[in-house]
Amino acid sequence: MFIETFKNLSLSFRELRGSFNEFKIVVASIFLGVFIISAVGSISENLKSEIKNKRVEMLGGNFELSTTYQEFPNNIKSWLENNGKTTHLIELRTMLSYNSQSLLKRRIVELKAVENNYPLVGKVIISPYQKVKLSLRTKKNEKKILIDKSLKEQLGIDVGDFVYLGKSKFKINGIIEKEPDRMFSFATFGPRVLLSIDVLKETGLLKDGSLIKYKTKFIPNNKNKINLAFLNDLVKGTNVSIRSIENTTNNFNNFVDRTSIFISLVGLITLLISGVGISNGVKGYIIKKTKNIAIIKSLGAKNSKVLNIYLNQILMIFLISIIPAIMLGISIPYFFSSIISQELFNTFKPSIFLQPISISFLYGLIICILFTILPLLKTYKIKPIELIRNSSENSLNETSYKIKGIIFILISILCGLTMNLINDKKLSFYILISMTVSFVLIYGLTNLKFYILSKIKFKLGTTFEYIRKTITKSNSFARSIVISFSIGLSLLITLNIIESSLDKRITAAINQQAPSHFLIDIQPQQIEKIKTTALSILGNNNFNSQPMLRGRITELNNQSVQGLKVDKEVEWVLRRDRAFSWSNKIPNNTRLISGEWWSENYDGPLLVSIGDKIAKGLNLKIGDKIKFNILGRNFEAQIFNTREIIWENMDINFIFILSNSNIENAPHSWIATTKNIGPNLNNSFVEKIVSEFSNISSISIEESYKSIKSILNLLIIIINSIALITLFSGIIVLAGIIDVSKKDKLYEVAILKILGATPRRVAYLWFKEYFIIGLISSIISLIIGTLVSYVLINSIFNIEVYFDLKMILFLSLLVPFLITIFSLLKMLSLIKSKPLVVLRAYF
Amino acid sequence: MKNENKKKLIELENIHVDLKSSFETINVLKGINLKIFKNESVGIIGESGAGKSTLIMCIAGLELISKGKILFKKLPIHNLKEDDLALYRSKNIGIIFQSFNLLPSMTALENVNLPIEISGNFKNNTMAIELLTEVGLKNRIFHYPHQLSGGEQQRVAIARSLISNPEILIADEPTGNLDKKNSEDVMKLLFKLKKDFGSTLILVTHDKSVAKLCDRIIKIDNGLIVK
Repeated sequence: MFIETFKNLSLSFRELRGSFNEFKIVVASIFLGVFIISAVGSISENLKSEIKNKRVEMLGGNFELSTTYQEFPNNIKSWLENNGKTTHLIELRTMLSYNSQSLLKRRIVELKAVENNYPLVGKVIISPYQKVKLSLRTKKNEKKILIDKSLKEQLGIDVGDFVYLGKSKFKINGIIEKEPDRMFSFATFGPRVLLSIDVLKETGLLKDGSLIKYKTKFIPNNKNKINLAFLNDLVKGTNVSIRSIENTTNNFNNFVDRTSIFISLVGLITLLISGVGISNGVKGYIIKKTKNIAIIKSLGAKNSKVLNIYLNQILMIFLISIIPAIMLGISIPYFFSSIISQELFNTFKPSIFLQPISISFLYGLIICILFTILPLLKTYKIKPIELIRNSSENSLNETSYKIKGIIFILISILCGLTMNLINDKKLSFYILISMTVSFVLIYGLTNLKFYILSKIKFKLGTTFEYIRKTITKSNSFARSIVISFSIGLSLLITLNIIESSLDKRITAAINQQAPSHFLIDIQPQQIEKIKTTALSILGNNNFNSQPMLRGRITELNNQSVQGLKVDKEVEWVLRRDRAFSWSNKIPNNTRLISGEWWSENYDGPLLVSIGDKIAKGLNLKIGDKIKFNILGRNFEAQIFNTREIIWENMDINFIFILSNSNIENAPHSWIATTKNIGPNLNNSFVEKIVSEFSNISSISIEESYKSIKSILNLLIIIINSIALITLFSGIIVLAGIIDVSKKDKLYEVAILKILGATPRRVAYLWFKEYFIIGLISSIISLIIGTLVSYVLINSIFNIEVYFDLKMILFLSLLVPFLITIFSLLKMLSLIKSKPLVVLRAYF
Repeated sequence: MKNENKKKLIELENIHVDLKSSFETINVLKGINLKIFKNESVGIIGESGAGKSTLIMCIAGLELISKGKILFKKLPIHNLKEDDLALYRSKNIGIIFQSFNLLPSMTALENVNLPIEISGNFKNNTMAIELLTEVGLKNRIFHYPHQLSGGEQQRVAIARSLISNPEILIADEPTGNLDKKNSEDVMKLLFKLKKDFGSTLILVTHDKSVAKLCDRIIKIDNGLIVK
């Protein structure tokens, strides 16, 4: 068996000798797709492994226990201290101000006050080099802080400068280069500022009702006994939330998984487009090998033997392509190790993982066999009699059930692999369905277009009639070009329509409805004065404020939320603290979806209004009960209505609004927004408030929007760049097709020249031919892209579809020009060929 | 001829071959009846397009007949399936083409070994080297076809046709692409080896002097045996 296989391989190799050049397009096609899948898989596995190794450092301990508004209950604090290592932290947002040459600059920052033993695991890297403990120590009444390097850049401040936090003056003692527990503790509103916990207490920034987070990082002595369940029992009935390394890494892994799914899918689409290239390459190869196949058959080879010889060759080429692709793919984490360690981890040691290697290998192998099986079966139709007589055109008119079965099995494995890669049954089902539908649509539309073209008689002159017949003839490769470019272009158009619709929606919201500024951490005793100031500066109805406090949901309909199965999209609502407001008056611009608002003088049991989509995701309806833990006390509220929440308007949007009850007596703060009525009025109002009330922080929506927009733009560039790979894959297919059809084109140019056509005329003819092929591809992609984006925008985003016509026109023309220019460049030598030389040499 | 040489090897009964194109059907063979005996050499002559090559390709199992019967050692081969025909060729037939039909990616030695590699009977290179020595190419065994002259390529093809020790040697105008000197050398070699190997030779040629070397000459015209 082994000897027989070796003999077969040896024969295949010797037959292949000297023909490797024929496979350069096949090699490039396999290489590109497999490389992307293995590279993404390797990066993703490395990140997940690194996080697993460093999760304790990144969380700052094995557990992070936190409360909002209130310090830890003493009994829990002392229990933690007695049963392991602890360090306590306080986090809050505040305004940092810097007086630069009589110009006052303000910036909201995220304060993190730490104890001397921070961090328990890992270390903070400070520039210039120093230890956290020493760098934050007050010397000669000079309070010290460390600031994030982004703040240094934003305000133009540096080590040695003095800044204000509230009313207190601080000296910048260093720049934070790395914060070990930063990844799991995103500073979302502003740059990080580190200071000592003792110093924070002296600043007066810790006020009741302010959004202050008290955290304890904890490493238990007995790790076997003290687990998440144990600690949950310990804090039961209190407002303490717990994060463990397990549930935190799960979130991050989900993020890595989702990101890698997108890129892997692009890799898969690239491989599928490459499949068209592989198929054409093998088809061309078999045509070139017709004589050899006929010789082998004339010497007594059975069809299966011939198939075996050429399948072996394809597998050899596959190995030649896949080995460097996988090697390069798994090397990518090594190439990017310095960036990864700089941006994510202090140190990053890449490793080689088996899973991305096996997955990319399997994907490559399946696509390779799937797309070569039909061209290889053409060997069955080659008759040895062709050695003395050119028989009619070879065509495989029917595919046996056995082959259909093999194709079905391969597609099933491909689907199975994709489901395994995505690891989310629902999502993978949608992705597979939409990919299948898109491919079927592209294939169907392409054939329909060519059928119509073949039937319609053009009245546009001889040239177009000639082109029409050329591209619609049965052995034309035009269909393959259209299909391979349509896949990539449809993806780009879909992404573009989604991006422009989202952008339009956000821009419209910013321009029409979004507030100018947010004011946060307003103390209850300050709100009336602020309202009066707002009335005098901004005028009537231009100021909106609501009370706010934070709490956790502990039970839904008497069922604990721990381990409760809810829609993945709304899981975040149950995960951590959420903000609540209360009002007996229906808030402005509220649209109720079900139920009604309670009366203004309602004073009964606690009622709650909930965002409609959240309610659906949590399987809640009117009358259901939600139990909240607010400041250590449990409150049960009955759902009275559900309402629409429009996040894009960027206004105050509470998921939960409670009825007025005793709750308003709890320590709380207010949040307010100012309507956009011109930068001067808005800025002078905000400036007056934050300078008068040092505890209040302001957030400019315009600035936030700009920074979100810049991140979004970066994301869009990255996504589109990745999607562009699919067009590159189309070019590889095109290059292969031009190679395969070189002989036909040479014959065509020879005949045209003999009939009197100049090289320029031939070039012009081919320009028109390939431009028309490109245009067909663009039209199909426009139809598919519009359909897919319309379905996605309506079903997922639920916003109005918006077409950026300029961009769509650009993309639609990009492909015809790309196809035309590339083809003409590649066929330049053919145009210059001498007709008689060609006819003598080839025919 | 001795009696045992008179054993019928091939019998053709009323062979018709119709070739269909998009526009017409051409009747290439219109009812051929022929018996070929073991160890004899048969020369087939006729004008271009008369059906000579088609006839021998039918015997080789490369051309499918439209009507009639072909019997090899009394066993019908006209109704065999493609793979069975391949097996029949592999065991019984050695073919020499006018245009040599060697695989360009393989050396002379590899080309000669190809039939036994295909049939799975390859053991070592001894037989192929012997044959190449016999045809005068001992020093060219590792040369590729493009490194050999036309006469040398045809010698390799002759060696290849004999590697399986076939009962029937079919040669389709083997000297058609060669000059006079090479033609004479190749024909001498072919008849010598035919004798050495005890094969039956069916030779298509338009050269009467070559045909005269055969035991029997058959003339075909317009798809029929006329002489």
